Amino acid sequence: MSAERFRSLAAVLLFAAVSAGPSRAQDDFALSTINGAYERLSPSLCTVLFTQEVTDARTGETRRRDGSSLGLVVRADGLVVTHGHLVQSNAEPVEVRVRLGKGAGAKEHPARVLKKPDDINLVFLKVQADAPLDLPAVSFSKSPLVLGEPVAVFGLSGETLDLEPGVLVARVSAILDEPRTTYALDGNIRFGYVTGPVVNTRGEVVGVVGFDLGRAEGGELHTRSGHPLVYQTELFEGHVASPPSEDASPGSREEAWLGVFTQPLTSDFAEYWKVEDTGGLIVSTVLPDSPALRAGIQSGDIIKSFDGKPMEARQDRDVLAFTQLVRDTGVDRTVSLGLLRAGQPVTVEATLSRLPATAQEAGEYDDAVLGLAVREITRDVRILLNLAEDVQGVIVRRVRPGSPAQAANIRPGVIILAVGDQPTTTLAEYEAALGQLREKKPPEISVFARVGAQTGFFRVQPRY
Amino acid sequence: MKRRICAAWIAALCGLAVLTGCATLDRGGQSAVLRAKRRVAPAIVHVRPVKEVFDAGRRKEMLVMGSGFIISRDGYVVTNEHVAGQSTSVQCVLSDNREVQARVVGTDVETDIAVLKLETDSPLPSVRMGRSDRLEAGQSVLALGSPHGLARSVSLGIVSVPDRFLSDKSLMEAPYYNWIQTDAAINPGNSGGPLVNLRGEVVGVNARVLSGAENVGFAIPVDIVKDVVADIIENGHVRRGWLGIEFQEMLAKGDVTSEEGVIISDVDRLSPAAEAEIKPGDILTAVNGRRVHARYEEDLPGVRLRIASLPVGETATLTLLRGGEPLEVSLVAEEKTSLRGSQQAFEEWGFTASEVTTEVARRAQLQRRTGILVSGVDPGGRAAVAGLQQGDIVLQVDGEEIPTLTAFNAAYARLRDGKARLVMLFVQRGALTRFVLVNTTAEAAPAASEPGEDVSNER
Repeated sequence: MSAERFRSLAAVLLFAAVSAGPSRAQDDFALSTINGAYERLSPSLCTVLFTQEVTDARTGETRRRDGSSLGLVVRADGLVVTHGHLVQSNAEPVEVRVRLGKGAGAKEHPARVLKKPDDINLVFLKVQADAPLDLPAVSFSKSPLVLGEPVAVFGLSGETLDLEPGVLVARVSAILDEPRTTYALDGNIRFGYVTGPVVNTRGEVVGVVGFDLGRAEGGELHTRSGHPLVYQTELFEGHVASPPSEDASPGSREEAWLGVFTQPLTSDFAEYWKVEDTGGLIVSTVLPDSPALRAGIQSGDIIKSFDGKPMEARQDRDVLAFTQLVRDTGVDRTVSLGLLRAGQPVTVEATLSRLPATAQEAGEYDDAVLGLAVREITRDVRILLNLAEDVQGVIVRRVRPGSPAQAANIRPGVIILAVGDQPTTTLAEYEAALGQLREKKPPEISVFARVGAQTGFFRVQPRY
Repeated sequence: MKRRICAAWIAALCGLAVLTGCATLDRGGQSAVLRAKRRVAPAIVHVRPVKEVFDAGRRKEMLVMGSGFIISRDGYVVTNEHVAGQSTSVQCVLSDNREVQARVVGTDVETDIAVLKLETDSPLPSVRMGRSDRLEAGQSVLALGSPHGLARSVSLGIVSVPDRFLSDKSLMEAPYYNWIQTDAAINPGNSGGPLVNLRGEVVGVNARVLSGAENVGFAIPVDIVKDVVADIIENGHVRRGWLGIEFQEMLAKGDVTSEEGVIISDVDRLSPAAEAEIKPGDILTAVNGRRVHARYEEDLPGVRLRIASLPVGETATLTLLRGGEPLEVSLVAEEKTSLRGSQQAFEEWGFTASEVTTEVARRAQLQRRTGILVSGVDPGGRAAVAGLQQGDIVLQVDGEEIPTLTAFNAAYARLRDGKARLVMLFVQRGALTRFVLVNTTAEAAPAASEPGEDVSNER
């Protein structure tokens, strides 16, 4: 049998296998649907080429690495979405380019990284060009998926296949319904398909492939990692309509914050406290300097209503839905909360404030005199490290190899409280203290810092 | 004639041995080693305690092995705390192979010393205690004990460093002394055995090896051992003064001009020192009028010992330098609490807990010492099902404050006998607090089968 004949036979067999599937159209793909979608979508697929600076969490050493990922054009004026791993707590992009088109017609453009949204593991890029762009953007639809439904995912094949656009077919293996509907996918989704458009059997683009549905607020740290998900259109359409700012300063977000950690009111809790078994949120922790504390909310209170809406949480994931509700309620809005305190109904008014900055948005200061990069201590870091409110300083993020700080045994995670006799309770104070160093050039200084539960001094010989 | 040849042969052989660099001692050295060994060997004890261990939310017993030595004719034995601490019974094997039960007189976690008393009326051979402040690097020493459970073993080496400072951050925490480092072979099982000079006097208690290294063993200097043992025999424990101060050597701070003193690096927020408004960066120059000085880190254990020696409940006067100006403060020393709180298992709920010590309270950022620390949770047990986790600090039970392990015990006993189906624990978990509801009637998973007796636990 010649190779030619073998190939055509294989094609026939493959076709037979595909068409021998269940007869209902919903259950499987018509090849024409896949090919039609490919024609429409492949011009929107692009390659994101980047250089990242990666920090070793233990040693604080940084190194650069090059990589590529799939990008998807979501707005004709040059908005591209890509994998959230481009921006991580230990990895920052230093240079990003987007390659559009393929073969001889391919064109590379520099791109700006927009502020990473904290509610979804995606990064948005703005393609830079001299003239206004008119790129082929994907349009999304909001059709729900059902369990077991097949979906086609478009992405880029590996580098050995010249990053040729390709397709995979997967099925919806689970539907996670809270806090917002998310679909889990079966099958082996390869890296080049992450952020690829997900197409249903009717040929509609219903979302993109994502990993990690991480939320740091709302009671517990919830991550659904390591499993491919569909980020369906509702999860990111807001970011497409009004893209995140290019400015990474914390002032730019508009999400609201109450400042409580809660647990769901299960039947056992209701029985124990002799309250009606209709769900609710038990306040387990009230954070210092929060709207909740100012409103007089106490740990042990049960939230039965928020802003007029009844709260009927019974499971851990309901807590996430509550957090989302608070975020979307609006900064500076005063809301009324219906509480049960020791079994008695109480109503309090709380004025929501802006969600405090997270470590990713923290201001950073890097300098060579000591060889340190430090950050301000954000609320999430304070909780993570269990730091008392009176610990005011800046936290060491990176230590340059061979630097004076490394020689003095200063490590990432050390909290610097004073440089010489200058307290460094804020990043601005730290910058000022280093400014003084550069001016006065003392040969040796003493850095007062907290390491774990103890304070101590580091003797540093700055390099000017 | 024949005898003379013989003697010549022996001399030649000895010369050969020295020339080829063998570790064979000359005749004088050999006899010194033998003399020293003969003085100490009769008083060496092979120690086999049954220890109480708390693992995965359960209390278990474990047989361990170590070494020890008799210090008095009436049968007091010195060994390591990590050998005989938390033991329910201790069996000892003496050098004449007699098996004798011993009772634990007392232990001291901070110096890793335990004192046992052999339960026998017959007079016993004992060691002579030497001094550790005159040791010199290069001096020959013997280590006696039961490496890997092999009783009656002797090894020979030299003092490598007489005063090795090891950072407190390692597992080798030893706040009050510097270690004797030796190349005499020390192995697991040697712990608690003596390090002996060639006069046959005990100069140290073998306690540690550097894992992964060869011929790097560490002994506790006998000078501090003598004081600790005397306290334990008299009071059952060592009582130490505490001010809530940590120190750093003068070289640690570049901008200090004072030649004298020691840097105060940390002040515990719930301590006599904090009340007396002592601040990190102050320099301590004298305690009750007597000078203190620590230029290098090797000097720190001596300073800490000076503070620990302050009588509890009595006023001490510290002389400080703050911003170059001398300053005197008076404060009352509190009693230092144990590094390790007592531990207990709560079988019906399937968890173990220990006392919240000052150190635990500090790490957990508690405003005061309160609650009990969950040290283990039995998978499948009621506590585990309720969501209690290792590291949680139980602050309240059914709304009642739990200041101590004793208080929790009382509450636990009451609840066990009561009829309540649900019990509410309010716990601190890191920076957050949380409610944990224990269902006391839930079917608990059957206990995991006990592991077989493990005899390889040499200390």
